[in-house]
Amino acid sequence: MAEQTQSPRGSKPIVQSVARWLAPQRNRIIVLAVLAVVAMVLPLAANNYMLEVLSNAWFYVVLCLGLNIVVGYAGLLDLGYAAFFAVGAYTTGILTSQFGVNFWLTIPVAVVCSMAAGIIIGGPTLRLRSDYLAIVTLGFGEIVRICARNLEITGGAGGLIGIERPHLFGLHLNQAIHFYYVFLALAVLACFCSYRLQHSRLGRAWQYVREDEDAAEAMGINRVGAKLYAYVIGAVFGGVAGCFFAAKMTAISPETFMFQQSVLILVGVVLGGMGKIPGVIIGAFALVLFPEVFREIGSMRMLVFAVVMLVIILYRPEGIWPAKRS
Amino acid sequence: MKKRILTAALGSALAGLLFLGQSAWAADLKIGIMVPTTGSEATAGKDMENAILLAVDEINQAGGVLGMQVTTMTGDDACDPQQATAAASKLVSSDVTAIVGGYCSGATLPTLKIYGDAGLPFAIAAANSTKLIDANQGNAFLVNSTGYDQVNTAVELFAAKGAKRLAVIHQGDGYSEDLAKLTREKWAGDGKEVVAYEVVNKGEQDHSSLVTRIKSKAPDAIFWTAYYADGGLVIKQLRRSGYRGLIAVGDGSNSPKLLEIGGKATEGVYCFSNPSVDYLPTAKAFTDAYKNKYNQAPDAYSTLAYDSMMLMADAITRAGSTEKAAVIKALSETKDFKGISGPVSFTEQNTLGHSNFVVLIAKGGKWVLAE
Amino acid sequence: MSSLDIFFQQLANGLILGSFYALVALGYTMVYGIIKLLNFAHGDLYMCGAFVGFLFLSLVSGLLGESWTGILCSMVLSMLTIGLLGVLIQRVAYRPMLSAPRLSILITALAVSMVLSNGVMALTDGDYEAFNTDLGFEGLEMGNVFITYTQIVLVVSAALLMLTLFFFINRTMYGKAMRAIAIDQDACRLMGINVNRVIALTFFIGSALAGAAGVMAGVYYGSIHFFMGFVIGLKAFTAAVIGGIGSIRGAMLGGLALGLLEAFGTQIPFVGSEWKDVFSFGILILLLVFKPTGLLGKTEIERM
Repeated sequence: MAEQTQSPRGSKPIVQSVARWLAPQRNRIIVLAVLAVVAMVLPLAANNYMLEVLSNAWFYVVLCLGLNIVVGYAGLLDLGYAAFFAVGAYTTGILTSQFGVNFWLTIPVAVVCSMAAGIIIGGPTLRLRSDYLAIVTLGFGEIVRICARNLEITGGAGGLIGIERPHLFGLHLNQAIHFYYVFLALAVLACFCSYRLQHSRLGRAWQYVREDEDAAEAMGINRVGAKLYAYVIGAVFGGVAGCFFAAKMTAISPETFMFQQSVLILVGVVLGGMGKIPGVIIGAFALVLFPEVFREIGSMRMLVFAVVMLVIILYRPEGIWPAKRS
Repeated sequence: MKKRILTAALGSALAGLLFLGQSAWAADLKIGIMVPTTGSEATAGKDMENAILLAVDEINQAGGVLGMQVTTMTGDDACDPQQATAAASKLVSSDVTAIVGGYCSGATLPTLKIYGDAGLPFAIAAANSTKLIDANQGNAFLVNSTGYDQVNTAVELFAAKGAKRLAVIHQGDGYSEDLAKLTREKWAGDGKEVVAYEVVNKGEQDHSSLVTRIKSKAPDAIFWTAYYADGGLVIKQLRRSGYRGLIAVGDGSNSPKLLEIGGKATEGVYCFSNPSVDYLPTAKAFTDAYKNKYNQAPDAYSTLAYDSMMLMADAITRAGSTEKAAVIKALSETKDFKGISGPVSFTEQNTLGHSNFVVLIAKGGKWVLAE
Repeated sequence: MSSLDIFFQQLANGLILGSFYALVALGYTMVYGIIKLLNFAHGDLYMCGAFVGFLFLSLVSGLLGESWTGILCSMVLSMLTIGLLGVLIQRVAYRPMLSAPRLSILITALAVSMVLSNGVMALTDGDYEAFNTDLGFEGLEMGNVFITYTQIVLVVSAALLMLTLFFFINRTMYGKAMRAIAIDQDACRLMGINVNRVIALTFFIGSALAGAAGVMAGVYYGSIHFFMGFVIGLKAFTAAVIGGIGSIRGAMLGGLALGLLEAFGTQIPFVGSEWKDVFSFGILILLLVFKPTGLLGKTEIERM
């Protein structure tokens, strides 16, 4: 796992030349600036449908970046990430629709709740090997969904309706374009946090734990603490994204938080490139745009999506844009 | 360069979306159809789409609406709330005049906000959860009877058959839970006992432990409020365990597939159904035309879908323009519109003015009208 | 029904359900044991097995009628087909990925699962097919506890399949090779074992068992659907982990344990049956907290 897998023949020179061109800081900033301008200006030329799809894509960028902290940085397999997203969405949903709390005040509550969820799931799993971790996180995700389905306060299987859309500085966030910018801002924030985390002390600890747990511990890294931090921080990403999701949809139901949702987010992370922020962003976009672009072919589109996914992963086992591993 | 390739790919994908979104014909009347054409409920969705397209054909042959030919555009909601909002936004962005469709209540619910904000008239053909009534912004009209009407029909039947102890089973989705809850409230409100209120997980095949639990509570009647696929299995396993009391199923189970899956165990099962083709003398011409065009028999919700489209065309004609507010007003003023599934008028809440539920019974592997 | 009747009836229900879980869990655990892959496509092989069995049954029912012979024939044919499908999947999708990161091969398995289920959906138009074999509801009645003959036949066949497998793994050369590869692949290669062939054989057997379970489920429950593999795939995965993933005996034990947990989970006092999955997942998590490798799993130190 230490060395990079061979790229397929032919693509290597392209990859190298891109890498060479991107090496100077100046060129990277140019690319970033161009992308930023495109992302800012795009809504002016887009219709509601495009805005809806693109805000959905930014939304998945946040979720995938959150999961990336757990999976990509800390190397922990998580098959129940939708649970954190559910915790955030339901916290906002319940507080706004049943207790009339202002949307913005629900965010800190959601953060606390998802942190608690991260600790609950992280606690018992820290001793487990990665494959057992998979089933425990999966089980946790299912437990959260079934609770949401069965409890009275979460609205049961029908879910919650009538979640208020928030105001921001007097502006009622009520249109597709508003939510586009909200999710874009969230995604940028998520990128920034991910970047800072990756290059922090904690980020290096994660990398060490991921590559060799025992050696990391021998070097004085608190293994348990590092893993727990990964779960908690990843959970906060999911929880906050969930808050805004609830506000955008105005109605949420347990069906959104099924196992398939967790799988989808994981696919985005791995397909794009674990541990690499631009890779994860590409993965998230692929996830959302692909089925939309192929909407026209009707019932075959999920089959086509699955086949394309299989081909990508077979040809680029480390993802579309993998992280460099030293 | 890789980045450029990616950017180019992304860009062309977006351009593609833009193109698809804006290719509208100015001179035509464009109607959006929202049904699930993929996913677990695709069969029902395609049947509804077929019926709507048939209605459109007939309208166009008769000269169109207000002199305009009707075109359609289908948005696949996949019976999933997230996909449904994307589909709904796509329809709204494509400058449709009105929306017809809506099968899964859970997926239809979040779209009400989108259509409501856009002020689009929306004829909901099949979805009938009572939550839709609360979330309606005034632009949506329920052409199918709601859960309330079905519960009344159901409770009447149980009482008439002398049932005292009722068991209710749903499937953990919005539609069947809504129906189950209303039934429980109504039954308990009448002072009778609901001895079991259970949930089946969608996609599980073995319900034997649940059957044992229910049987141990000795109910006189069992009401399955969810869909036919799992319903067939539940009924089969109930009968296999030796339960001999009354079994009834809700309108989501009104399909010949239930009888096929459940086999002889379904004999004598009651079903509450919206009026579907087989029991409607008025639907003969429709059934023939449908069979002619699609080489298959129309399914449960086709008549309602057909009626919704016809109703929408009628409302636009009465409004005399394609202006959205005028069409909504015309819809709300609908008075005894002659649909093949029965006359359509709306209450103040935009729900169907009368209950259209009929009671069916399974006899010899077929649904027939119960007296 | 007295509570003793309920207890025995639920015991029977749990054991019948558990034998299905065990059959599917075996394939999971075998594949995991040999190449350390969580084969998420395994549930879909079960689903494909049911469809292939359905196809064969409708073909042979003309010759043999809808009898037990017909069912047996289509089951054997379906086992062969699904076994080969499993080998094909291993060859095309998994073998090139063996040196890739663990998560990538997991995603490959998820992709294969999506291809299979969406492929069958496209072929069948997403319809439910009724498996029309009216086997009758006759059975043994012991007081208020009732077991049909069909159920007895199913449990016995599942037990036979598992016994055969057990002897194959413990008493034959190929079985020994499988166990050896699970321990150290490189050493096996040096000892002259054709590792690829043994891996392919493992996939064949595991998939064939899933295929058999699929046909049995189709016959027993009477309806098949492109999505039917999903739930049982999850359950079998859970069962394999409860037993200790990688352990053959563990998978059998875990399957039965999960079946019983679910049966008795519907009967928990004061709460409804809607909590039964929370109950079984809760027990699973508790079990792993106290015994991190499952009931019969071996403790091993993981090195990436």
